[in-house]
Amino acid sequence: MAKAKMLTGCRAAAEGAKAAEVEVICSYPIRPYTAIMMELAKMVANGELNAEFVHGEGEHAQLSVVLGACAAGARAYTGSSGVGVTYAMELYSPMAGGRYPVQMTIADRTLDPPGDFGSEHTDAMCTRDNGWLLGWACSPQEVYDNTLIAYRVGEDHRVMLPQMVCQDGYFISHIPDKVTLGEMSQVKEFLPPYRPIGPLSLTHPVSHGPQIRPDQGAPMDAMRAQTFLAVPKVIEEATADFNRIFGRNYDPFVEQYKLADAEIAFFIMGAHSNTCRTAVDRLRKQGVKAGMARLRWVRPWPTHQLATALGHVKAIGVVETSTSYGGAMRGGNLIHELRASLYDLDERPLVTSFMGGLGGETIWPADFDNMAKVLTQAVKEKKVRNYVQWLGM
Amino acid sequence: MAKVHEITVWARGVIMDKEGRDVINIFAQAAQMEGKFAQAFDNYEDLPDRVLVTVRKYVRLSDEEIEHKYVYTNDKPEVVVITEATIVKGIDILRGMEKGGTLIINTNRSIDDMLKLIPNANLLGTVATVDADAITGVRTVDFSGSEGGVDTSGIGKGIASPMTGAIAKVTGMIKKENLAKIVSDVSGMERGYNEVKIKKLG
Repeated sequence: MAKAKMLTGCRAAAEGAKAAEVEVICSYPIRPYTAIMMELAKMVANGELNAEFVHGEGEHAQLSVVLGACAAGARAYTGSSGVGVTYAMELYSPMAGGRYPVQMTIADRTLDPPGDFGSEHTDAMCTRDNGWLLGWACSPQEVYDNTLIAYRVGEDHRVMLPQMVCQDGYFISHIPDKVTLGEMSQVKEFLPPYRPIGPLSLTHPVSHGPQIRPDQGAPMDAMRAQTFLAVPKVIEEATADFNRIFGRNYDPFVEQYKLADAEIAFFIMGAHSNTCRTAVDRLRKQGVKAGMARLRWVRPWPTHQLATALGHVKAIGVVETSTSYGGAMRGGNLIHELRASLYDLDERPLVTSFMGGLGGETIWPADFDNMAKVLTQAVKEKKVRNYVQWLGM
Repeated sequence: MAKVHEITVWARGVIMDKEGRDVINIFAQAAQMEGKFAQAFDNYEDLPDRVLVTVRKYVRLSDEEIEHKYVYTNDKPEVVVITEATIVKGIDILRGMEKGGTLIINTNRSIDDMLKLIPNANLLGTVATVDADAITGVRTVDFSGSEGGVDTSGIGKGIASPMTGAIAKVTGMIKKENLAKIVSDVSGMERGYNEVKIKKLG
């Protein structure tokens, strides 16, 4: 087994792309994801990676370049952060609708205004209804692993969809942690070469992205929705294979930490789950039956898995690191879909949400203690006092 | 959970970014060689390429796996290292320090002169100065890999070597023998170790 190295999430993403032997890379700088491209540029320059490295003139161009590359049959890779993610917005739906399994790596950054380098999930969450696979890692190791898993799932012919592999800026992208890189033989066993369907070709000309009539729109949308129904099975297969080949222990959709007998639970994704896990341990020592459910994929949303994992809990606190101004629950995004996932249960847990880690703020261990108090109170009162509470205010 | 020791290094943006980062990388590597769990990372907010702004770099050490590895900043530094003396003016460099902490400054001024510039010096148990600039005369500037503390290549060519030598002597947290295996400028490191001036405060 290879030895663990101390790598940042940025380096881990670049190592993942290198292991996947990406063929076309398109970069444009924006913190904090920039270092991923810096690392890849070095690998290409040093001859460690045989890829075409294209400098895009902006994020819109980045996505356009990798769309073209993917259409021509290349395994393509790009990435961005914050407002860079939103600048490329036009491309997301065509990329997914055209079934181009490109990978975009995201190191989250707060959207303006004002300029802020801190991590917040709102950037990539903005794209969630455009038909991409979308998931968050909680460590540099998982960034590396998800890079490979996402390519395998996205390029599966039952799926053929682009993927966003997200990591919290700074927390994951810039703080080194132990990463065990795969052996090339493991990567080869796990990730077959990309096999395009109907690529652009000089000898067999095909049309990509033609104009359609309005009456063709609904059937096509229905097909895109139908495709997503097939994705969970592919994710399960890929995760099982990954766990077997690389010796990991991922749950395909939801990491369940001390949930089995939990009375209160945190629902969370990304970097802050690491602090959350230690908070759960501490609360357990104090006699509070706490647990944590960590979401690995936002798209496809694991509706039934969440109902099964969390249905028995008395009160759930959704730790939101993204905003949905004016939304149904007045705070973040995740609570809407979590509550919807639990709606059909005979006995539903109480669900409230906590806005934390916004603008890149740290969620401290003590914050989780305070959240636990709110949840315990909700259990006692059999109701939540608010749909949302803003931490530290 | 075992105690986590926090060390904060202050440097100046761009022109001393590499030196500041070298100090933390050398420190963490030396600690890891002794079997300690160590993290070295930049303060992300400070990092952007603005010349001369103060930038913070962090080390964390523990005898066990560090649990809160993604907590953003060192909020209670035990040791503060100043790689450029003028930083002490106008900034609360000891913020968060508990009584009895350690301050190490790269300067040719006397310890007593430096203490006059630090209003909350009563927090300190130990203060030390080392003239790292005079020892090496080199401040390396490197623009590549200046994001995320990833650049560990050729570390300790400049003032970071005497600085880490001084840190080893003053804190005892790392060993000189291990530093010698890491830094490019071994004699500079040893001079820092030997020439650092230390004053214990009451």
